[in-house]
Amino acid sequence: MALKALDIYKLLPKKNCKECGDPTCLTFAMKLAAGKADVELCPYLDDNAKNVLGATTRPPIKLVAVGVGERSYSVGEEFVLYRHDKTFYHPPGIMFVVGDTQSEEEIAAVTARVRDETLTRVGADLKFNGTAIVNTSGSAETYAKAVAAVEKTAGLPEILVSENPEALEAALVLCGTYHPVICAATPENYKPLCAIAKKHGCRLVVRAPTFDALAELTRNCVAEGVKNLLIDPAPQTLGDFLTRSTAIRELAITRAMPDLGYPVYLDATKFSDEDAAIALGIVKYASVIVCHPLSPASAKAALTLRQNIYTDPQKPIQMNPGLYRVGTPGKDAPVLMTVNFSLTFFTLQGYLESTRVPCFMLIVDTEGLSVLTAVAAGKLNETLVRDALKKFGVENEVSHKKLIIPGYAAPLSGRIEEATGWKVLVGPRDAAEIGEFIHQEWKP
Amino acid sequence: MEPDLNFGWTSTVGNVILGATKSEGGTRSKSYTLGGGTTLPFMEKDLSFPAPLIAFEICDDPRYWSPIVNDFCGDLVNDPGAWAKTAETAYGADLVRLCLTSTKQRDFSDIPAIGKTVESVLAATTLPLVIEGSNEPKIDSEVFLKCGETGQGEKLLLGTAEAGRYRSIAAAALAYNHSIIAQSPIDINLAKQLNILLKEIGVTRDHIVIDPYTGALGYGFEYSYSAMERIRFSALKGDTDLAMPQICAPSDSLTVKEVREAEGPARDSMAIEWEFTTSLAAAVAGAEIVCVRHPDTVKRLKAAFAGLSARTEV
Repeated sequence: MALKALDIYKLLPKKNCKECGDPTCLTFAMKLAAGKADVELCPYLDDNAKNVLGATTRPPIKLVAVGVGERSYSVGEEFVLYRHDKTFYHPPGIMFVVGDTQSEEEIAAVTARVRDETLTRVGADLKFNGTAIVNTSGSAETYAKAVAAVEKTAGLPEILVSENPEALEAALVLCGTYHPVICAATPENYKPLCAIAKKHGCRLVVRAPTFDALAELTRNCVAEGVKNLLIDPAPQTLGDFLTRSTAIRELAITRAMPDLGYPVYLDATKFSDEDAAIALGIVKYASVIVCHPLSPASAKAALTLRQNIYTDPQKPIQMNPGLYRVGTPGKDAPVLMTVNFSLTFFTLQGYLESTRVPCFMLIVDTEGLSVLTAVAAGKLNETLVRDALKKFGVENEVSHKKLIIPGYAAPLSGRIEEATGWKVLVGPRDAAEIGEFIHQEWKP
Repeated sequence: MEPDLNFGWTSTVGNVILGATKSEGGTRSKSYTLGGGTTLPFMEKDLSFPAPLIAFEICDDPRYWSPIVNDFCGDLVNDPGAWAKTAETAYGADLVRLCLTSTKQRDFSDIPAIGKTVESVLAATTLPLVIEGSNEPKIDSEVFLKCGETGQGEKLLLGTAEAGRYRSIAAAALAYNHSIIAQSPIDINLAKQLNILLKEIGVTRDHIVIDPYTGALGYGFEYSYSAMERIRFSALKGDTDLAMPQICAPSDSLTVKEVREAEGPARDSMAIEWEFTTSLAAAVAGAEIVCVRHPDTVKRLKAAFAGLSARTEV
C-alpha cells in the first residue's frame, strides 16, 4: 500500500537538516511518496520507521550508479512496463568485453574506442559506456595486468567478470575506488563476493535462473551489506530473456516481489546473434548490456535504437522555428516548408544537402509534431504558415513566391495559397525523393 | 513465484487468413492464420505458437528500388517471377510482397502488364502473396481490380488502404475475397477510425491487417514501436475495432542516411542491420508480418525469431 506524503512526514525526524539533499522533511516526504527517493538518504530514521517506509516508498527499482566521474551512469529507477505509459528514464549502459588473455594493446584499443567513439544523432552525442574485463585466464596476476591496461587508457566504468576472489582482490587494488561492478554472485559463492564488494564499495551482479532464487540471493546480499545490486536471470535463449526480464519488471514495479527491484544485467556474448540480444535488451528492460566490440553497423544500430526507445514519448525533440539555410541560397533558391519535429528537420536537411541545390528551409512551430501527426491534429494549418512566412521575413530573402510543402500536407495546399498569396508546390511524401523532385519540378 | 505473463488480459487478436492451398480453393503450398495471440508477442504459454512471418519484398520496376538490393540480387530484379521463386527457395521467406513500382511512372496505364506480372509471380512461387498496388489514386481502381481478379481464390493481402483512399482497394478485396492492409499515420485513434470506415463499407475484421506506419530506426521508429504496443493492448483488452494483426513495412529503412552513406561491403551490412533491428523490435512490439528487402536479413530474422520462441525450463 502506498503511503501519502503526510503519513510519511509523521515518521520522519522533522529536523529539516537537509542531509538527505532536500530542503525540508516535508519535501523529502513528498519525494518518498512519489517513489522518487530512498529512505536510506535520511541518516536519522530509526529501524522501525525504515521498516515501515522501506518497502512502500523506495523506488520500485533501485537506482544503481556504475563507475565514477564524467562517464559514470545510473540505471534502475524505472516505473513502467511500457514507454507510452510514462517514459523510460535510464538508458542501458552498453559495455564492451575484453578478455585478460588478449594482449595489452588489444585491451587498450577496445578501451580507447569506448572512450572516443561518438555517434552524433539528432543533436545528441551517443557513446558506449565502459568495458567488462573477463578473467578468462583464471590467473590473478594476468587479470590484474589486464585491468591495469584498461585503467591506464581511460577512467571508464568497469565490470569485473570473475568469480575468483583472489583475481578480484588483485584487480580491486587498481580500480577499487571507482565503483566497478563485480560479476557474478551465485547462491554458491555470494558470501565471499559480498565480502569483497562491501570492502571496496562495488556493485554486484547476482545470477540465478528462477525468480525465487534471485529474490533470495538479493535478500542475502543485502543482509551481507551489499545494496547496489544488478540481477542476471541467466537466460539461455532470447525467449528466456524476454519472458524473465518482463516478469522481473512486472514483479518489481507492482511490488509483488520487491526483492527483484534491481536493474537487469544482460550478457549478450552468450547469444549466437549478439545484435539480436542487444536489441531485445534495449527494448525489454536490460540496464547493463555486455557485448563484444561491435561492428560499425551494429554499433550504429544499437546506439540509435537506444536513443529511440529512451526518448520521452510525451516530449518530442524540437527545433526552433525559423528560416534555415542549406548551402548559400540565392534569391531564386527554393523554399521548403516543414515542421519543427527535429527528426523531420534533420532527415530533410540530410537529403537536401545531398542534392547540392542551395535552398531555404522554413520551419514552422507544430510543437514538435511530425507532418503526418500535425496535419491530422490540425496543428499544421494555413495561418501558421502565413505567420511564419511573415515572421521570418521570407519575402525579403527570395525573389519568387513559391513554397514547397511536404507531401503529407497536400490537403492544405489550397488553403495555404489563399492565406499567403504564395504558389504552393506539393513535394513528395518521402524526404528521400526530394532531390529528384527539386531537379524535375523546381523553376524559380 | 511465477508471474502471470498474460497480465490478466481476456481477449485475443483476431484471425486473418493469408493464402489458400488447393483444398482451400487456391494454388499455394501453405496458408497462414495470423492473430490468435492472448498476450505480448513471444510470451504465449503455448511454445508452439507461430513466430511472426517474414515477407520478402520484390518489385516489378527496379528503377524505383534500392540500388543496394539491385546490386546484391543482380539480374533477378528484372524478373519478378524468378525473384519471387528465389525468395522462397534460397532466401527462406514466409511471404512474398510484390510492390508494383511500375505504376510510379508518369501517366502509367498498362494495366494488362500488371495482370501478367501478378500471374507470373503466382506461378513462380507457392508462397502466399502480398501485393502493394498503385502509387497513384487515379489508377487505384483499375490496378486493384486487376490484382484482385488475377489472384482470385488465392487469399491475397492487398495494400494499402488509407483514410482518404480505401474504396477502390476495398472493392477489389470484397469482390474477390482478399484481405487488405489498412495504414494510418502512427496513431492508435486514426487506426481505429480507418478500421471503422472499412467496416462500414463491408470489409470484415478478419480481412484487415493494421499497418500503423513504420518510421525507420532512428527516423521515428519510437513512435511506431509504441503505436504497435498500444494497438496490441487494445486488442487484448477487447477493442474489436483494433483486434487485428499488424504488419511492419518500413519503406525507408534502406534510404536513411546511415545506409546511404555506407560504402562497399559496409553498405550491405548497414542495410541488413537497419532492417534487422527495426523488424526485431517491431515483432516484439506486436507486428505479425515484418517486411524486408535485403535477402540476408531474412535468415537472421528467422534465427532470432526461433530464439525468441524458445524457452528453457528451470
